[in-house]
Amino acid sequence: MLYATSNFLVPNGTFIVVLLAFLLVVGFIAKYVVPPLNRELTERQDQIRGELEAADRAKSDAEEADAERRTLLEAARAQARHIVEQASTTADQTVTAAQTRAQAEYDRIVQAADAEVTIARQAAVEEVTTKVGEIVLAAAERVLGREIQASDHRDLIDEAIAAVRAETEGTPAGAGSGRASNSGGSR
Amino acid sequence: MIPGLPILANRLIAINISVGDRVQRTLFGIKFDLDIVWATMIAAAIVIILGLILRAQATSGVPGKFQLVWEMAIGAIKKQVEESIGPRGAAIVPLALTLFVFIFVCNLFEVLSIGAKLEWLPAPTSDVNLPFAMALSVIVLVHVSSVRTRGVRGYFRHYFAQPFPAKLFPINLFMNAVEELVKPVTLSLRLFGNLFAGGLMLSLLASLVIWKLGPVPVGGLLSVPFTVVWKVFDMAIGAIQAFIFALLTIIYFDMAMATDGAH
Repeated sequence: MLYATSNFLVPNGTFIVVLLAFLLVVGFIAKYVVPPLNRELTERQDQIRGELEAADRAKSDAEEADAERRTLLEAARAQARHIVEQASTTADQTVTAAQTRAQAEYDRIVQAADAEVTIARQAAVEEVTTKVGEIVLAAAERVLGREIQASDHRDLIDEAIAAVRAETEGTPAGAGSGRASNSGGSR
Repeated sequence: MIPGLPILANRLIAINISVGDRVQRTLFGIKFDLDIVWATMIAAAIVIILGLILRAQATSGVPGKFQLVWEMAIGAIKKQVEESIGPRGAAIVPLALTLFVFIFVCNLFEVLSIGAKLEWLPAPTSDVNLPFAMALSVIVLVHVSSVRTRGVRGYFRHYFAQPFPAKLFPINLFMNAVEELVKPVTLSLRLFGNLFAGGLMLSLLASLVIWKLGPVPVGGLLSVPFTVVWKVFDMAIGAIQAFIFALLTIIYFDMAMATDGAH
């Protein structure tokens, strides 16, 4: 081993050795380092791309599901509204119908009661009229001492009866005419 | 005038900082610098071991920090190649990656040096042989790819037909010849010069130790912090030079592979 000083800008035999060493390193890197690095970078890129695509898909799926949910919800709401409307309409109709029926029933009952009252009153008046006529006739027979023919004195009897009726009821003229025809018919 | 400085100057001259001291052996009449040889071998071994560790650890899943550093390096180089040369340049990526990593590892050896007359593990890039070897490899491959891209006729016509019109071919030829000859020289000497200067700076800082003012070892007190600061700076220089070498390689390939005459 010797320590030599030479022109340091001039390459020597070392050049060949270091050149070979350098080329060896280049070969190693080119063969054993760059391909796996590239492969891993590509794989990772693919993975990331795949994951991003999957995320996109999941997102669009979720959006679709959400849209469907919204549509369904809207439809359900509309249906519910419809049902409520229908129910309230039906209820209104039912109430109206019931009211109508009740009114009709009430009217009918009132009418029937009116009619019954009228009939009863008429019957009562007829009875009273008949009885009064008989009493008057009987009284008159007793007074006169002979039989009186009712038909001969019809006008007189009717006049008396009308006077009695006016006195007991004070009824309007319409009732009087009905009574006149009824009293005539009942005989 | 700082007292003691003339003494320092005298002492420095007396030390006579020499350059290019190597552990030399002659084999078959050829001189070999053994320290550069083994330093280069160690650097190559480090790079190969780093590559083997990467191969063992590499995963396409979540990468570790070690893999990330490799991926950052190769990513930066691929980006550079794709932006300048395009997809055709993919073959250059391993070369550029090796240049960057290998030169960077070599340059880091300078952190270990102490400014001695003879370093036991010098940065191999601070000797001309390795930069020349790398620059030669690059330039040969650049010319090969130029012939491949342009064809033999296109390759030679390229030197005559540009940058000026073909009528001025003597000027074109002269300019292109100078350019092509300068490329490997600048490529290698830039790297060598930076690293060599770094080592020289360490020698100067180390020799500062002999500067004393009476009993006070002024130089010794200054030498240590200066050396520390310089070594940090030197690491940055090492990284930058490795990057520049790889970048210029890509640029030379880009110029060689440009199908158009313009570059």
